[in-house]
Amino acid sequence: MTEAALAEDPLVRRWFESAHLDDDPQAEKDQRLRLLADFCDHTGKSPEELVKGLLRTTKEGDTAISSKRREAMNVTIEEFVDQQGFTGRDAVVNGNVLRSFLVHNGIFIQGRAWRG
Amino acid sequence: MELKQVMGNRRSIRYFEPDKPVEKEKIQIMLEAMNRSSRAVNADFVKGVVVYRDELDPEVVEQLKTPTTTADIDLAPVHIFLYLDLNYVEGAQNRLKELVHLGALNASHGWSDAYVDEVVWATVLKPISSDPGILSYIGAIDAGVAICQGMLAAVDEGLGVCLHAFNTEVAKTALGIPDTWLPLHLLLVGYPSEDPLTGGQRPRRPLSSQFFLGRADQPWEEIPEVTDRLKREGLIQDGVDANKRRAEVRQLAQRFGLPE
Repeated sequence: MTEAALAEDPLVRRWFESAHLDDDPQAEKDQRLRLLADFCDHTGKSPEELVKGLLRTTKEGDTAISSKRREAMNVTIEEFVDQQGFTGRDAVVNGNVLRSFLVHNGIFIQGRAWRG
Repeated sequence: MELKQVMGNRRSIRYFEPDKPVEKEKIQIMLEAMNRSSRAVNADFVKGVVVYRDELDPEVVEQLKTPTTTADIDLAPVHIFLYLDLNYVEGAQNRLKELVHLGALNASHGWSDAYVDEVVWATVLKPISSDPGILSYIGAIDAGVAICQGMLAAVDEGLGVCLHAFNTEVAKTALGIPDTWLPLHLLLVGYPSEDPLTGGQRPRRPLSSQFFLGRADQPWEEIPEVTDRLKREGLIQDGVDANKRRAEVRQLAQRFGLPE
């Protein structure tokens, strides 16, 4: 998926609006989109599939987050940043950029904090 | 700090200085504040395990992390795992009689050794101890009172605190928690890396929507002079400036590499 196409994706729009990223410098926005695009390629999933894949329907018909799939997502994100060659602070930051996309689309998920 | 100022200054702190050590003396002050709390049957409802994150085996620290607590655990240098000891009724008879002998529980209000020995166990303590639901909810109230005191003591010492859920199964194994301890909260402690006042107090509803006078349909009417006094004394403070706060949170997220 190209960055331009990704920028128009409804869930990406939701992410940027919710996180107030639209006013950021274009280079930063492009960097985020590039990262998400690469992650989509890595997982073979669209942004919508990434989010929906973490949700499940309860017996009562409510939407809930799947704990197991969320754990698996954290592992996948760590594998991805490692495979991309990110280390140290960059690994933490880039992993959390991907989590930011999920967070602003309703997925409660945390990654590591960078302690220097 | 004056008590009302401490209560007014308390916020749920979620950004801590991850590498600024928290003095054990300050933790002891928190624990003693919990130990001095009001409690039924003079029981020790709360059990707490104080964990200094960097003194734990790194593998255990990793085990304690979940996809919902990873950043919290990374940022807070001290974690206090809080439990309700479901054995709190044990020894209550002797503790109550001790209070009778010390003059805390008096005949003027119906208390005596005989009442404790012959009535209290059968009509109060035994029903409580044999009903897990009642045992838990009564205990949770008193535990909450104790935890609150510990949190306020922390604020008075310049620390930040926040209650969290935690992975109870992992903690049980990693920390050697007995079967009779019911998990309550994880209290994270550290020096705030955010403004300790988080830019203002969080919104609260008026007293009239929660408290009533005489009957449940007669709302409490605030006395404006008292409200003004509480503002002067720091219990009631200005609300959050959302724009300023958003900028601070963003700066913190960038500092720690967290999601924005």
